[in-house]
Amino acid sequence: MSSFDLVAPASEEEAVAWLARAPTGETAVLAGGTDLLNDLEEQRIAPRHLLSLRRLPWNRWSWTGPALTIGSTTPLVDLEYDPKIRSEFPGLIGAIEAVGSVALRARATLGGNLGRSGSASDLIPMLLALDASAEIVGPSGRRSVPVDALVVASRRPALDPGELIRSVLLPEPRASAYLWQRIRPAQDVSHVGVAAAFSPGDGRWRIALGGVPPRAIRIHPGASELPGRPSKAALEAAARRAAERLPLATDLRATGEYRRLVAHALVIRAVEAAGAMREGAP
Amino acid sequence: MSAVPAALKVNHRPVDLEGVPADERLLDTLRWRLELRGTKEGCRSGGCGACTVLVDGRPTLSCLTLTRELDGREVTTIEGAPDHPAGRAVLEAFESEGAVQCGYCTPGFVMALTGFLGRTPRGHRSTERLLRELQGNLCRCTGYAAIARAVDRAGREAP
Repeated sequence: MSSFDLVAPASEEEAVAWLARAPTGETAVLAGGTDLLNDLEEQRIAPRHLLSLRRLPWNRWSWTGPALTIGSTTPLVDLEYDPKIRSEFPGLIGAIEAVGSVALRARATLGGNLGRSGSASDLIPMLLALDASAEIVGPSGRRSVPVDALVVASRRPALDPGELIRSVLLPEPRASAYLWQRIRPAQDVSHVGVAAAFSPGDGRWRIALGGVPPRAIRIHPGASELPGRPSKAALEAAARRAAERLPLATDLRATGEYRRLVAHALVIRAVEAAGAMREGAP
Repeated sequence: MSAVPAALKVNHRPVDLEGVPADERLLDTLRWRLELRGTKEGCRSGGCGACTVLVDGRPTLSCLTLTRELDGREVTTIEGAPDHPAGRAVLEAFESEGAVQCGYCTPGFVMALTGFLGRTPRGHRSTERLLRELQGNLCRCTGYAAIARAVDRAGREAP
């Protein structure tokens, strides 16, 4: 017999109401399940109920002018095969393609990744560089929270009891790139992941570093520090400062010092790759 | 919560979900409930690709999928590959290139490639692209050279 039951509400209201009634700590929320199922298999968690989001209309996306709203249960593979998302948010596609294999991304979702808030997430650095925010729904209605304020600790996102991640908002298309370092492309997680994005709105770069505990960090250099089209020297200096912000975390994958060296190189390459997309742009 | 009896289709055949436990994975439903043993269990944690099947035409890891989550969906396994236009071409390519050693990873490779070719027209099937789609499939015999030849051939010959 199954140690948990599977509940699949047909509407957002039903899902929120169910979660509000559920005893605290006994329910796990199921989006794609690619991470959750491994926790269940290894008995790291033992919930009595799984609240499945599969029947909610959160598995699609919509454009509002330049802004893209992605439903939290959209399979990552749907996003990577969409030509418009690919051309408007190239860095997001790069980060998505860094998540496991194609067959894993058929199940994995953006909302699930944020809900887990893993320090090794490839998606979170890119969402930070794109200034993404998450729309949350819960007992007291809907609210919007910057991804930066959501992914505060691994496995423990800043959600109140009974809250669910409904969608992710990307405010504007940005020249962007995501680069990572790891042993095998589809069977390992990144030692370091670097996202770079240039905002046409304020003419400034965002750089985010991930793959290193405790959480991904975002750096927002000033326009004089890192201009839109930086000189080699300016980029080199900005990359060095960014890498120094990385916590010196050593684990079985890599040493802290090695991660900083890799991060330094990846920041330079990510800004150059994103910058090359801006050729012809003002 | 559903008025219609929960069901999914496996190789066009309806499967009643009522008696399936909540924690049962598609991999186990296929192998032990439906006795479709072609789908293989490798790492059971999403890292090897041996358990890959198609869900609504998309390559999907059956080890990381709860069966009851697939209410209303269509699953194609290696047993259904001969009836799939791209699947048949992939099987023939693996056979003619001798791309099978112990064979354990083969169903996963075949289904991952079938899913991609089934939705990707010729002209978008560069070797690099095809191999990228298969990064999640491991062959522990390391028989990759023959597999790569079969992948190229399937890319040329599949409709």
